[in-house]
Amino acid sequence: MQQFDSIQLPESAEQLRGEVREFLTSQAARLSPPNSDFTTGHDPEFSRLLGGRGWIGMTWPRAYGGAERSFFERYVVTEELLAAGAPVSAHWIADRQSGPLLLRFGSEAQRSRYLPGITRGECFFSIGMSEPNTGSDLASVRTTATKEVEGWRINGTKLWSTDAHRNHFLIALVRTEPASDNRHAGLSQIIVDLREDGAKVRPIRNMAGGQDFNEILFDEVLVPEDRIIGEPGNGWQQVTSELAYERSGPERFLSAFRVLVEFVRAVGPDAEPRAAAVVGRAVAHLLALRRMSISVAGMLEQGKSPDVEAALVKALGNDFEKLLPEMVRLATLEDFTNNDRWSDFREVYSDTLLLSPSFTLRGGTREILRGVIARGLGLR
Amino acid sequence: MDTRGLLLDTATRIFSDHCDKALLDAAETGEFPERLFGLIRENGFHGLAMTASEVPLIESFLVLKVAGRFALPLPLAEILLGNRWLDRDDRLIAIGIGDATGARNVPWGRLADSVVAVRESGEVALLGDFTVTEGTNLAGEPRDRVVADSVESLELSDDAFSEMALSRVMLMAGALERVLELSLQYVGEREQFGRPISRFQAIQHHMAVMAAEVAAAVRAADAAAQAIEGDRFFLEVAAAKSRVGESVSVVAELAHQVHGAMGFTHEHQLHHFTRRLWAWRDEFGTELYWQTALGSHVAGLGADALWEFIATRG
Ligand SMILES: Cc1cc2nc3c(=O)[nH]c(=O)nc-3n(C[C@H](O)[C@H](O)[C@H](O)COP(=O)(O)OP(=O)(O)OC[C@H]3O[C@@H](n4cnc5c(N)ncnc54)[C@H](O)[C@@H]3O)c2cc1C
Repeated sequence: MQQFDSIQLPESAEQLRGEVREFLTSQAARLSPPNSDFTTGHDPEFSRLLGGRGWIGMTWPRAYGGAERSFFERYVVTEELLAAGAPVSAHWIADRQSGPLLLRFGSEAQRSRYLPGITRGECFFSIGMSEPNTGSDLASVRTTATKEVEGWRINGTKLWSTDAHRNHFLIALVRTEPASDNRHAGLSQIIVDLREDGAKVRPIRNMAGGQDFNEILFDEVLVPEDRIIGEPGNGWQQVTSELAYERSGPERFLSAFRVLVEFVRAVGPDAEPRAAAVVGRAVAHLLALRRMSISVAGMLEQGKSPDVEAALVKALGNDFEKLLPEMVRLATLEDFTNNDRWSDFREVYSDTLLLSPSFTLRGGTREILRGVIARGLGLR
Repeated sequence: MDTRGLLLDTATRIFSDHCDKALLDAAETGEFPERLFGLIRENGFHGLAMTASEVPLIESFLVLKVAGRFALPLPLAEILLGNRWLDRDDRLIAIGIGDATGARNVPWGRLADSVVAVRESGEVALLGDFTVTEGTNLAGEPRDRVVADSVESLELSDDAFSEMALSRVMLMAGALERVLELSLQYVGEREQFGRPISRFQAIQHHMAVMAAEVAAAVRAADAAAQAIEGDRFFLEVAAAKSRVGESVSVVAELAHQVHGAMGFTHEHQLHHFTRRLWAWRDEFGTELYWQTALGSHVAGLGADALWEFIATRG
């Protein structure tokens, strides 16, 4: 059974929380309209300001621009940004998983080349895992990279890569050897320069009206040899090692948080019992999810790779993010579609509801996560 | 092993040695488990929560989690907390909901040496001479109605009702863990279509949902236990009783689903846990009761203080 230890955040993290809040107050103009979904605000200037504060790549070695802070301190910074609805999308992936991946598997040259820029909030990464025929079954990727004298030649299509049209680099999962009986063999991760290498990036509009994710066409795209991360063929081990980082953070249960904030504002301090009960129910969920997420930060801090625990937090958290708008809409008899006092609520509620189908898809679907948990229970 | 480990180990050993199906069935017919009761007393559990024991109160609640795991058919929560509140080591104390005139839902009131009535408002009344009408909750646990002729003492306590609610939270957390274990074991053993049912994805997903709910419930329960004597105690109990109660609905339903008809028999032990879960989630405030209390408090703080409330350190 999965164990989520009680963890009290260290004093240093709480001190940092105060600094982040002060900073966010000074940046109020950038926070509007607040939305706690981590992919909705892409603001390079904001990311640069965060980098200037030392709040990107916080846990990384100083040699690469990091701050050598703990996972708890990083946790506090990320949750404060999300809760305030800050525009964090630009640097989010680089900070959360591309940087840690390079630190663990990248060459010295790659680390020195990319990491300092990431920590300054000047160098942004996207993820190139999915393809037209590859979703949950990640090992089925067909995009190939073939070794030639001048470097690696890439052919194929990547799909859904968030922010690839405005970020600098993509880490693509590609086949460097033909498929064999061992489906997980022959895969590699390779860095693509989205502005220089000649891959064609086409934004795709989502149903919420945003243009965040993209299709990327690789037609004989040549990249230098030194863009391979780690050992060629080791891609599967590497890509799965990102999962604990990718799945356990506060962005996995806070996407709908601002809906609750605006609901509380609209119902006011003397909320009717029906409204109060729903607020209480949501708060009870949030307290438990946050504590579990902090437990996972503790496991990362101890150098463990808590894949199952992370999947469990994400599965619970994503279901809650979807439940929250559903709960609050039925917790008032007022007509929020047509009432000035509810206009802020209406805005964030509509945005969040339109985004909500993605919560249980991105970063591993609910069904895939349940499979991971079942494996952790010894059932598979 | 540290003191806590030793204590929980002792509890686990005693409860697991004695709380078998036969004992649970007998208790449901009204037979008081004298021998087990004696053992618990001999091992010093009666006075564990008393101030004089100098054992932190949280340990008593952790023992209750172990009691929940084994569906201990004794009013251990009432013995622990009653002795604490009254500062005496009575043989059998029972606690119910009520006031100076009497109490309802009193566990084993029929055999109790002392009966205490608590109210949400914080009054704690030690009843004088009383008469008892026997009853049970939906788990078959004795829950008697007590009418008092007199009252021996009447005090006000901020925490009494919350402590009782927390006792149910901890019992539920333990029982939830056990229900998950029983289900894991069953789906691994039961074969249909020529293979263990654990091989079917639908069953695996049910188990994953249960595991997640149980993990959340246990984490919520532990947080409330840790909040004892802190200034958020009432609110953390509110959050925990709400969260754990929600888990109960999901986990009990799925546990029965994966157990098939076998889990619906009286002969199988699953119902000793699921029925208790269904009973305990209603005792000392349902999810709705605590959600309303918590939500009213948070709404009163205002929208811009909501995050501060959630981003607590503990
Ligand atoms: C907003 C958004 C942003 C994204 N950003 C990125 C990105 O930046 N980079 C990137 O690489 N990808 C990205 N993705 C893609 C994401 O990783 C995939 O959507 C996800 O892996 C699921 O793949 P799919 O959409 O092809 O669904 P499919 O895999 O086709 O699944 C469809 C349905 O079938 C279910 N299913 C599939 N396999 C099984 C199984 N074995 N058992 C039971 N059920 C199953 C799924 O759970 C789902 O319900 C993004 C997706 C979204 C929605």
